[in-house]
Amino acid sequence: MLLLDYQNVLIQSVLTERFSGAPPVNIDQTVSDFDDVAFHISTPEAKTKIVVSISVKCFDELVKYGAQQVLEREYGSYVIPTEAGYNFSVQVDLENLPEDKDARDALIMRISLLKRNAMAAPFEQAFDEYHRMSEEASKFTSEEAPQGIREGGDVMTIHYRDEEAIYIKASHDRVTAIFSMIFREETDRIFGKVFIQEFVDSRRRAIQNAPQVLFRTDPPLELQGVPGVKDSGDGRLSYITFVLFPRHLTNQRREDIISHLQTFRTFLHYHIKASKAYMHSSMRLRSTGLQQVVQKAQPENEKKEKKTASGRTFKIQGN
Amino acid sequence: MAQNTPAVVMDNGTGYSKLGFAGNDSPSFVFPTAIATKAQGAAGGGTGSGRPAVANKPSYLTGGAGPTGHLSMKRGTEDLDFFIGDEALAAGNGPGYGVHYPIRHGQIENWDHMERFWSNSIFKYLRVEPEDHYFLLTEPPLNPPENRENTAEIMFESFNCAGLYIAVQAVLALAASWTSSKVSDRSLTGTVIDSGDGVTHVIPVAEGYVIGSSIKSIPIAGRDITYFVQSLLRDRGEPDSSLKTAGEIKEEYCYVCPDMVKEFSRYDNDRSRFLKHTITQPGGRQVTVDVGYERFLAPEIFFNPEIYSSDFLTPLPTVVDGVIQSSPIDVRRGLYKNIVLSGGSTLYKDFGRRLQRDIKHLVDARIRASEVRSGGAARSGGLEVQVISHKRQRHGPWFGGSLLGQTPEFRSYCHTKAEYEEIGPSIVRRFALLGGPGGS
Repeated sequence: MLLLDYQNVLIQSVLTERFSGAPPVNIDQTVSDFDDVAFHISTPEAKTKIVVSISVKCFDELVKYGAQQVLEREYGSYVIPTEAGYNFSVQVDLENLPEDKDARDALIMRISLLKRNAMAAPFEQAFDEYHRMSEEASKFTSEEAPQGIREGGDVMTIHYRDEEAIYIKASHDRVTAIFSMIFREETDRIFGKVFIQEFVDSRRRAIQNAPQVLFRTDPPLELQGVPGVKDSGDGRLSYITFVLFPRHLTNQRREDIISHLQTFRTFLHYHIKASKAYMHSSMRLRSTGLQQVVQKAQPENEKKEKKTASGRTFKIQGN
Repeated sequence: MAQNTPAVVMDNGTGYSKLGFAGNDSPSFVFPTAIATKAQGAAGGGTGSGRPAVANKPSYLTGGAGPTGHLSMKRGTEDLDFFIGDEALAAGNGPGYGVHYPIRHGQIENWDHMERFWSNSIFKYLRVEPEDHYFLLTEPPLNPPENRENTAEIMFESFNCAGLYIAVQAVLALAASWTSSKVSDRSLTGTVIDSGDGVTHVIPVAEGYVIGSSIKSIPIAGRDITYFVQSLLRDRGEPDSSLKTAGEIKEEYCYVCPDMVKEFSRYDNDRSRFLKHTITQPGGRQVTVDVGYERFLAPEIFFNPEIYSSDFLTPLPTVVDGVIQSSPIDVRRGLYKNIVLSGGSTLYKDFGRRLQRDIKHLVDARIRASEVRSGGAARSGGLEVQVISHKRQRHGPWFGGSLLGQTPEFRSYCHTKAEYEEIGPSIVRRFALLGGPGGS
């Protein structure tokens, strides 16, 4: 598994099972997802009416960037009044499913992408803003462009974890996404640096059309004046910048890019952990190998003085 | 952050792994504890040909130079090329992958595979950031402390999980029985009968501690019942006697009868007790199989093993009685009073009732004999025997873990990452008893 899935596998499997025509049952499950997202799958009214609710830590910020509209666009008629304690709810009625199997599968997928779609709002907004601004900017040459366009839009901040945030900024020729990242663990920090260095270097090697990646331990210039951005000073907090160029921002690529960017932090952590597992596996191999060597290294027919019970020794003949 | 996320409960058994979140009433995922990896040229990293590996791209993660064929010689992303669970079995049917079972007899044998199994369970299925969650894992009774330490090393050093608690499956099965209406006091004293697919264990637990010297295992479990049903179908010459059909019949129609001989005559008087089972074969052909005496004969092998096996002849009630008799005398009353069933092969209708009756007979006979021996001088007040069956039996240990993992004090019982770094792996040799006296 190189890439992580974007959809929640549990929601997917629960819905697939329910949609397959199995007898309706009561469901009441809380499900967790990355970045402090929680789901609640339940059947509060009737066994055939499945409610999926999501709670996201930074939902207020997402709403500010248009999450409600994005979710309503995606889920349309399935949206119901939000369940208490959660941020957004959808409901599917098993008696009123699409006839077509493909359409059903698409619906399952759409619901299991709830978290992705909720988090997609600021990205979508930034992409739209980029398109608008690039249109504006095409009317001017770069020197005489008015202030607002040359500078680009405001920085959108999503505090998706307690200590970490994503900053997104659109300009007329690029969209910049900056991740602030903290590694609590010394080992993780080193692994993380190696991985991020690979990202930074990837353009120099083979992949010419990859987005530019920058890595630094002090806040990048784009974030100057953004409230809440701080310099930890000891290099604990690091900033990873992705610069998306127009070729990444086409409408065909847009959905994929949003999914990839969202899972970046988890992706990095997953691979740090996977490489630790890989190291451990070779360490285990080494230590069993060494153990075998030690076991084989017993001295052969050790010469030991043998004594009788009274303490006399035998003389070995011929020596 | 880890303070308000639900704890992750993982019960990795020999056959199946049960994964989920504390507070839920059923595990989120139940799949085989299997991992399919790319089949390697050299058999399991034995003696290699000494051919040096070709590093075709610079990597900062070069492992030691072990024998070829081992994962550590692979410089690409081969270590991520694997599947777990049902996907593993599917991949194992195709070419290129070999299926491995990292757990044998309840204990983890292959730590390389287990580490990757956990990694995929956490990141692909449960989708949690282990740094944000507490983990509750299970272990079989008599698990060596070294295995616990290895587990802790992986959980804390690879995954940096926030906190860890390792509980004994039998103790969790006792905790799961608290949902039954028959249980009045939430004690952790009792006898657990854990019957899965491969083997049946009878485990006495006193105040949350397993009495290791008295554990008995019986080589009769779910798989044997399936084989027995299959052999009955074959004897009758049914049109379909595959293992799958036998398994379906076992799960759908079998029950435990109070008396085998009476049950036979009841069947002969009442033809409606014979049923028919319809199977759709792979070709789409429908086949009907008669279901008869095996309905009550199959589970009967627990109580009369001689009808199935010739080398193991002790009935389950006698084994349970023997286990309790070999336990310390001061806990025996509690062990008789709280006999808890757990595992898929204890789900037959009236299994608990029959077991309770048979054990009661044994106990009463012994009491009467000792009264006679004392010449009528001593009278016994009797002994309460109670077998508890409840709704959560199938995934008993997991459910017990879910129950205990959602309690507010669970986190204070865990060892945290900070404590692990302070003391080292040996910290997991001891855990405060979760749900025991002083708890809730």
